[in-house]
Amino acid sequence: MMDTQATPLRPSRANVRGSVSTLGAALPFLALLVVGVSLPLFAGGYWGVIATRACVYWVLVSGLNLVVGFAGQIAIGWVALLTLGAYTTSVLVAGNVMPALPPYLALAIAAVVGAIFGLVIGLPALRLRTFYFAITTLGFATIVTQVALAWQSVTGGGVGVAGPVFPEPFASQWGFYYFCFGLAAICTWMTANIAASRFGRALTAIRDAEVAAEACGISKPVLLGAVFLFSGAVAAVAGGLFASLQSYITPDAFTLDLSVLFFIAILIGGRSSIFGPLLGTILLTVLPEFAAPLVAWSTFLYAVLLLVIVLAIPGGIAEILDFKNRRPLESDRAIVPRPELIVRLLDAAPNGGALTLQQVALSFGGVRAIDGLDLEIRPGQVHGLIGPNGSGKTTTLNVISGYYAPQRGAVRLNGAAMHVLAHHRRAHMRIARTFQTPRIVGSASVLQNVMIGGTIDGEGTFVESLLSLPRHRRDEAMLRDTAMLALAAVGLEQLAPVRADRLQHSELRFTEIARALMLRPKFLLLDEPAAGLSVEEISRLSALLLAIARAGTGVLLVEHHPDLIFDICHHITVLNLGKTLAAGTPAEIRSHREVINAYLGG
Amino acid sequence: MPISGADPLLDIAGLSTGYGKIGVLRGIDMTVGAGEVVALLGPNGAGKTTLLRAVSGLLPWSGSVRFGGRDLAGSSPRDTVKAGLAHVVEGHRVFTQLEVLDNLLLAAYDLPRSERMLRVEEVFALFPEIAAKRHERAAALSGGQQQILAVAQGLVRRPRLLMLDEPSAGLSPVLVDRVLVVVQRLREAGTAVLLVEQLIEKALALADRVYALARGSIVLEARTSEADLPHRLEHAYMATASR
Amino acid sequence: MVASIVLSGVAIGCIYALIAITYNVMFSASRVFSFTAGTLGMLGGVLGSLFIARMGMPVAVGFLLALAGGAVFGIVTEIVAVRPVLKSLDQHLYVLSTLALALMIQQFTAIEWSTEPQPFPRLLDIAHVEFDQQFWLPMLACAAVIVGLELLYRHSLIGHAFLAIAEDNYAARALGLPERRLRMMSYALAGAIGALAGFAGGEMLLAFFANAPMLTFYGFVPVALGGMGNNRGAVVAGLLLGLFQQTANFLVGGIFASVAVFTVFIIVLLARPEGIASPALRRRV
Repeated sequence: MMDTQATPLRPSRANVRGSVSTLGAALPFLALLVVGVSLPLFAGGYWGVIATRACVYWVLVSGLNLVVGFAGQIAIGWVALLTLGAYTTSVLVAGNVMPALPPYLALAIAAVVGAIFGLVIGLPALRLRTFYFAITTLGFATIVTQVALAWQSVTGGGVGVAGPVFPEPFASQWGFYYFCFGLAAICTWMTANIAASRFGRALTAIRDAEVAAEACGISKPVLLGAVFLFSGAVAAVAGGLFASLQSYITPDAFTLDLSVLFFIAILIGGRSSIFGPLLGTILLTVLPEFAAPLVAWSTFLYAVLLLVIVLAIPGGIAEILDFKNRRPLESDRAIVPRPELIVRLLDAAPNGGALTLQQVALSFGGVRAIDGLDLEIRPGQVHGLIGPNGSGKTTTLNVISGYYAPQRGAVRLNGAAMHVLAHHRRAHMRIARTFQTPRIVGSASVLQNVMIGGTIDGEGTFVESLLSLPRHRRDEAMLRDTAMLALAAVGLEQLAPVRADRLQHSELRFTEIARALMLRPKFLLLDEPAAGLSVEEISRLSALLLAIARAGTGVLLVEHHPDLIFDICHHITVLNLGKTLAAGTPAEIRSHREVINAYLGG
Repeated sequence: MPISGADPLLDIAGLSTGYGKIGVLRGIDMTVGAGEVVALLGPNGAGKTTLLRAVSGLLPWSGSVRFGGRDLAGSSPRDTVKAGLAHVVEGHRVFTQLEVLDNLLLAAYDLPRSERMLRVEEVFALFPEIAAKRHERAAALSGGQQQILAVAQGLVRRPRLLMLDEPSAGLSPVLVDRVLVVVQRLREAGTAVLLVEQLIEKALALADRVYALARGSIVLEARTSEADLPHRLEHAYMATASR
Repeated sequence: MVASIVLSGVAIGCIYALIAITYNVMFSASRVFSFTAGTLGMLGGVLGSLFIARMGMPVAVGFLLALAGGAVFGIVTEIVAVRPVLKSLDQHLYVLSTLALALMIQQFTAIEWSTEPQPFPRLLDIAHVEFDQQFWLPMLACAAVIVGLELLYRHSLIGHAFLAIAEDNYAARALGLPERRLRMMSYALAGAIGALAGFAGGEMLLAFFANAPMLTFYGFVPVALGGMGNNRGAVVAGLLLGLFQQTANFLVGGIFASVAVFTVFIIVLLARPEGIASPALRRRV
């Protein structure tokens, strides 16, 4: 039953609800803030040191969290940056190589050095498989320690060097504690800002749905580069603080155990979370202190914890604390799209040019996947692409979306040839697509998943998000409102705050469509959207796709389902063995003898 | 309607299965009698391969599957092979790094050592063209020969029911006929065959009965002797769901 | 001098090659790499020292027990860290689970055995010579494993079954091969090979828990350079690595040798992420 009234989308209520939930989310942080600020009132000097150490570790872990927890890069050897930061700060303050510098300046320089090396250590992730990358980070960690050992003239070799002493009021024990606590609080705030920004969401998209992220225009190298720079910088700052805390550093203070601790704290805390790893860091720093024998076994225990988490609760502490996603969902939910909202969402100019394939040919190792294909997708029309398995339908779609380059022929947009193999540029050309199997970020909410679709429309930079500057907040509001509109249009509004992996298959398909709509696409490419949908859902999908076409978008529909194809397509191309078997209106195709034979196989 | 009053060799009732969240088959009822050749037809994406995978234990399923009177619930592919049910998968997948002989010996992995060569020789007697190449690596065989090798692998254990998934796929018409002659021979020897095929005419020529699968359910069941089958099949596939 | 570099280079290269083979055998069986490969190498040395030096068993008995211990830990890896995560949708959990297991074993060894390197017994009662047993034992072990694996894979049914599972897991299952049991046996074999590496190299490396991270890294370099699952490439790369390392050691000293090895490794890997030997082929969509 369709709601024919054009009801306003209640943005104000959504905003209020949003503010309340933000306050709720901030509560645990505020609690920790209060405890931390008031610590000297109830804890002795010994616990002060432990607390300072936890703060220092958290400064590093907060940055590493973006790399490991959000971007999913398994950087085990990040202690290398702690070492770098510690030695850089200490050496600059001690005046071994050049006249002694004030500690704050030294710390700042260490941050720059850390940023550069963060990039150096992290960038191989773009070329290497997961396990290989993990091993190389381990190698880096070993190298840095060994260089520290060998470069005696600068680092003092095995003898070591004194750590920096910060001037009053941070020289005393509690004074230094507040300094570290302040920096830890700032890092928490900054990384929480990133987490709630389009950059944080884009990182999780790279981690869990890389191909979809590319289709949304997210550039992995640029984003990972920014994260490695930031993460390296804060890790080096943590190193400087660490050196000061230890008063004196030697290479064997930077053990693999420490690297493991950082890494495990994030995984215990849970991915895509700030509070989880924060709690994890505190836990791992404090735990060994409760019993003397535990200190020797601490790394063993961390490893056991990691194994348990991986096998039993991959979501970590964050999953355990995620109460709102434990509330049961209604079992007979229906997806009720509101096609009338499509017009408000899309603004494609109906007189834009067509997307054409001219004599495109592509072979995979001797097999002709596509053999001289001509195809024209006009704006405002639904073009169906059907054919038996292996006929080249999905390959054609992948050529249009830029994953494969045609060996012959051309793909043109509005007459101009499209740059081949630039799959992450298609989004900028307002070409959106969905996938045969829904590719979404399971641990993120439906709303966040849809907002990922609009990532390239944000104007604020990474730094602006880091500091929660006005342009970042405007971007967030814009993306949120557009995403809610898209969700309402596809009929999934009420599921917006729900974790995506709790949804049924058909709901995930509609979520993908909502995400694609965020681009306000001139062309929408759909890969078997009806698979797994019920009869009712298919008819609602039909109405939705027709509304999208009427708003001026050109739709390419790759499908098996005769219902969808014959009901809504303006034009159909039938593929067989990579060639066009027939092309025409649904009525023509339906009675075409050869088509029927091809489908039934004769 | 099922033929005789005796219990069918393979009895599927209310079978449902899918991949993760994606449901593919819903409430499938099907039987295959001893010594029968049954064809399973349907357009792409209908779920034919999924059905075979469920029956042989490669995919979990719900419902009821009985083979030779035995309940197959929870059986792994290894169990179903032992029970006498062989599944030759789609795409003539043989182990290209190994010799033809070793490909067949692997099919006899669970048999006692003394029996293995015996069974392999039996199968070689059925397929002289691959017997001639017994020490060549499977990679050196043509597509059609690889398909025959795959079928031969299925026969090593002397199954009571052989399930073939699109044995003609990717083969030239000559090779297709060669493979289907094998099916004919099997029927003569008393082995039941469940044949999934895209080539309707050839399948109808061989089979005793036919099922048509579309969009996850059985849309037609008939004996191949019945009139007007091709037309009825076409209608069953292309028909849109009732609204 | 050259002779000494060549001998020690080839010897240590053989140890690295054996660890690489351990990685590869596990990879062939499960399509994942395990962090425990290097740890198994460490265990070979530690168990050997424990059984023979500390507990006074005869060398042959200690040898067999050390191999058996490796096989057991290989099976433990499969059951605890690999099997549970193979089914998961998250493809990279195996990195974390095997890392956790490897760390647990390393730490346990450090605490219960010793944090300092312990002497490894002299296995054969022959006097020290230039071409000493500490050099040719690893070479013998490497050669024996290569020949043994060749015999296994080419001429035994179970070896064929391993190859089948590695080439086409789906077809192997459909054929009725006991895929899970075969994977466990592969891991047991890999464990024994890893332990053999540590045992044969015991006199060179000593019984030291910190051999684990060292072998984890240096044992992986031949895998990365030789191509995943490619044992022949791993052996060649391992020998070259050993020679390069010992030469660098001699020329610039231990620490800068590690830097040199690592730099070369990273550069080669970035240029050819699939390894020098194998072609690249990826279909992602």
